[in-house]
Amino acid sequence: MWSYLVKRLIQMPLVLLVVTITIFLIIRFTPGDPVQIMLGMQTSPEAEAALRAEFRLDQPWHMQYLLWVGDLLQGDFGRSIRMNTPVLQLLADRLPISLALALSAMIFAVVVSIPLGLIAALKRNTWIDYLATGYTLFGFAVPNFALAMILIYVFSITLSWFPITGIGSGASTAPGLWGVVQPYVLPAVALGTLQTAIFTRLLRSSMIDVLGQDYMRTANAKGLQPLTILLVHALKNAMIPFVTMLAIQFGYLIGIQVTIEHIFAIPGMGSAILSAVVNRDFPVIQGFVLVIAAFFMLANIIADILYGIIDPRIRY
Amino acid sequence: MAFHDASTPVAVEPNYDSGFRMAMRQLLRNKAAAAGLFCLLLIVFLAVFAPWIIPYDPTQIALSSKLHGPSWEHWLGTDHFGRDVLARMAHGARVSLSVGLSTVAFAAAFGVPIGLLSGYVGGRLDNVLMRLMDAFLTFPPLLLGVAIVGLLGADLTTVTLALGIVQIPVLARVVRSATLVVREETYITATRALGAGSWRLVFQHVLRNILSPLVVQITIVFSAAIVAEASLSFLGLGVQPPTPSWGRDLAEARRFMVDAPWMFLAPTGFIIVSVMAINFMGDSLRDSLDPRSWVRRAVTSRETPRASADR
Amino acid sequence: MPLLTVKNLRTRFSTDRGTVRAVDGVSFELEEGEVMGLVGESGSGKSITAMSIMRLIKEPPGRIEADEITFDGVDLLALTPAQLRDYRARHISMIFQDPMRSLNPVLTIGRQLMETLQRHLRMSARDARRRSIELLEVVGIPRAEKRLDEYPHQFSGGMRQRVMIAIALSCNPRLLIADEATTALDVTIQAQIIDLIRRLRSEMGTAVIWISHDLGLVAGLCDKVSVMYAGRIVESGPVREVFYRPAHGYTLGLMNCTPRVDDIGHRLRPIEGMPPNLAEPMPLCPFLPRCEMAVAACRESKPRLETIAEGHVASCHANLSAYWRKEKVA
Repeated sequence: MWSYLVKRLIQMPLVLLVVTITIFLIIRFTPGDPVQIMLGMQTSPEAEAALRAEFRLDQPWHMQYLLWVGDLLQGDFGRSIRMNTPVLQLLADRLPISLALALSAMIFAVVVSIPLGLIAALKRNTWIDYLATGYTLFGFAVPNFALAMILIYVFSITLSWFPITGIGSGASTAPGLWGVVQPYVLPAVALGTLQTAIFTRLLRSSMIDVLGQDYMRTANAKGLQPLTILLVHALKNAMIPFVTMLAIQFGYLIGIQVTIEHIFAIPGMGSAILSAVVNRDFPVIQGFVLVIAAFFMLANIIADILYGIIDPRIRY
Repeated sequence: MAFHDASTPVAVEPNYDSGFRMAMRQLLRNKAAAAGLFCLLLIVFLAVFAPWIIPYDPTQIALSSKLHGPSWEHWLGTDHFGRDVLARMAHGARVSLSVGLSTVAFAAAFGVPIGLLSGYVGGRLDNVLMRLMDAFLTFPPLLLGVAIVGLLGADLTTVTLALGIVQIPVLARVVRSATLVVREETYITATRALGAGSWRLVFQHVLRNILSPLVVQITIVFSAAIVAEASLSFLGLGVQPPTPSWGRDLAEARRFMVDAPWMFLAPTGFIIVSVMAINFMGDSLRDSLDPRSWVRRAVTSRETPRASADR
Repeated sequence: MPLLTVKNLRTRFSTDRGTVRAVDGVSFELEEGEVMGLVGESGSGKSITAMSIMRLIKEPPGRIEADEITFDGVDLLALTPAQLRDYRARHISMIFQDPMRSLNPVLTIGRQLMETLQRHLRMSARDARRRSIELLEVVGIPRAEKRLDEYPHQFSGGMRQRVMIAIALSCNPRLLIADEATTALDVTIQAQIIDLIRRLRSEMGTAVIWISHDLGLVAGLCDKVSVMYAGRIVESGPVREVFYRPAHGYTLGLMNCTPRVDDIGHRLRPIEGMPPNLAEPMPLCPFLPRCEMAVAACRESKPRLETIAEGHVASCHANLSAYWRKEKVA
């Protein structure tokens, strides 16, 4: 187990190296100059040169990369060209919001998919199973931003139940805990519906698989209560792929929020990257992509660890 | 001691699906596949023949008839410039479908050879290529699209490039695992013994045998590309105006949700229907191949812990 | 009064190829502490008979009917599902063929043992654990205390079957149904398990239904034996009586294809052909197409179970017992 884990953790920086070099190359060899975008037309050559030197844009790309990695190893992510604030500071502002959004989407997905997947498996080939299948087909097909607009139209505009914005702005329309939770509801549903479909389908099929196993017959022959059989004997087995998928999808969610952040005006990681791309704010793009890729990889490693913990048969 | 064990034709473990239900299920599935095919053909038809069957120019501004609701003249209403929404949808379909097709072609052009090479040669090359694919898989696909399209500027080529790159590892993996299975089978060895050229062998036998999983995966890539293109356009990074695009029209409709809900419902509907239609076809293809394969694919877009534990 | 009475048990399955009569009119009685063997080819209905008694068949698509299934004076067919659950493992236990797959892979052995004790005997976790250790020792698992916290994959096949037996015996049931319990095991392990069953039976007085297609095992372990073919019992009686003087063509066929260690050079004679399709009606003896002993009457009517000797019945027109008598004379 440990040696496997160490191996994965060693692999991680190597993969991140490939990721960052690729991003670096894309950034440096594409048109668009951050300095010009920032300073605009009326600028002196001296000011331009000073700014270039400050952000090392006058150096060849491989030097820029090495210096960037060197700073990184000392915990320095550099500064935003556009906003002149440390990238680390930006991360500290944005990451918690993205994590909270991903988490709320996961909560929604889990809360819906567990009962739906279980019932679909237990009542296989009945109308309720077909209903669940229909829901998953919809979930797989609807893009999160299109769903977000439907939700806004129904619940914000027509019914006025939820605000259209509000995450990270501090302004809340409702008091207390609900005031904190409320702005997350629509973004979480819009973002998490795809995961709901993935989880429901996965749980249904692994549950059907488990229900056909010999040990379920044993559990029945022991005269155990149906609820015990379902929750202990069946669910614990069916949960193994489910929990693994949970971790993977959590890592994935952080990287696909950008459209949702765009619609609901959420100041998360995705919208930061979007505006950094538009403004050619290189240090921000590099730093944020690095963190998101690292999260994704960590989630995969955690998935493997969880797999080993829940399934006693796995020893790495 | 034990006497001979003739296996009986009758089921000791009975089939738990009754005949009626199985027939129903089959029918439903076929119906869904047929409906999917029908919808897709309809959208393709609209896209191809848009200029001849819809009497409106999707870019023609007519402020006198702006924000009109659906009517006999404008089936899906008009937008804030008085442009016919149906015409824009039909022309938007051209963008979506061509991005989808070119993404599939791009991803397949790289993914299939990489997967074949990796699976057939194996060893160190396989290891290197797959680690590289792992690295590509850690790019959040949408963000990579944002970066590439945002930086390179948006046109069909860059969008295709951005969407295709993230799909290369997906196709490469599918092809590789199928190649691995086929490679183990004896007839390949037999053909090799007969002296057929090694690479001809790879392409003839392996490609023929991996065709079915590949086709299924391609439908997935296709629908993913359509969604991704819409997402980029929605963020303002896709194809540029005045070219109609579902994602961009959706973004513009945001300001008119109260006054003209048809403006956002139309592209939403078109995206959902086309993705569903492609998924239906993929599902029925997959069901006819292996009803359980999606679980494996869903659990492991990466290597399974079990597989790596075996190493 | 017998411990278990089964009269005219019929279990059917509706499939897309029609109704399969997996068990078609099985009757037998089992006394307290008695060991009955149930033999026959795969698909002959042995397992379905056992599972029907415990009503472990999923309904639908299965359907269990019987004139009577009485256990210790209680009509099992009349029990509600909840009452039935109280009987399972508490009074009637079952061991299955494949110990590799019959234990839940993600629960510890201890958990799987204790839950039965806690469920049926309302033991506390502490008592259940102590009793579980005892049980593992009884079935011959060393270092029981430590092994209780291990998972099934850490046990060998034979050890797993011992665990299954420990679970089955945990509540001192009065009837144990063992379905091919040693088929998947090595011969030496098999002998140990048989020895264990024999010992437990003499110590606890548990009645056993031993399902197997191994005639040698049944001969050594059982008091009486029933031979099943195509969902019916075609012959039954005391072990010595049935194996020394088989009256049914099928029983003879089975014995002819069972090897004997002490009979070197003896040619085994396999039974030709395949068992019949249980979805089709059978107006004649189901074994007729494969029978070497068939007589003219076999092509005219279906034989009925007839008494041949004390406790020995068979449904065969050829009635081979006459054949044995003749041979003795000659």
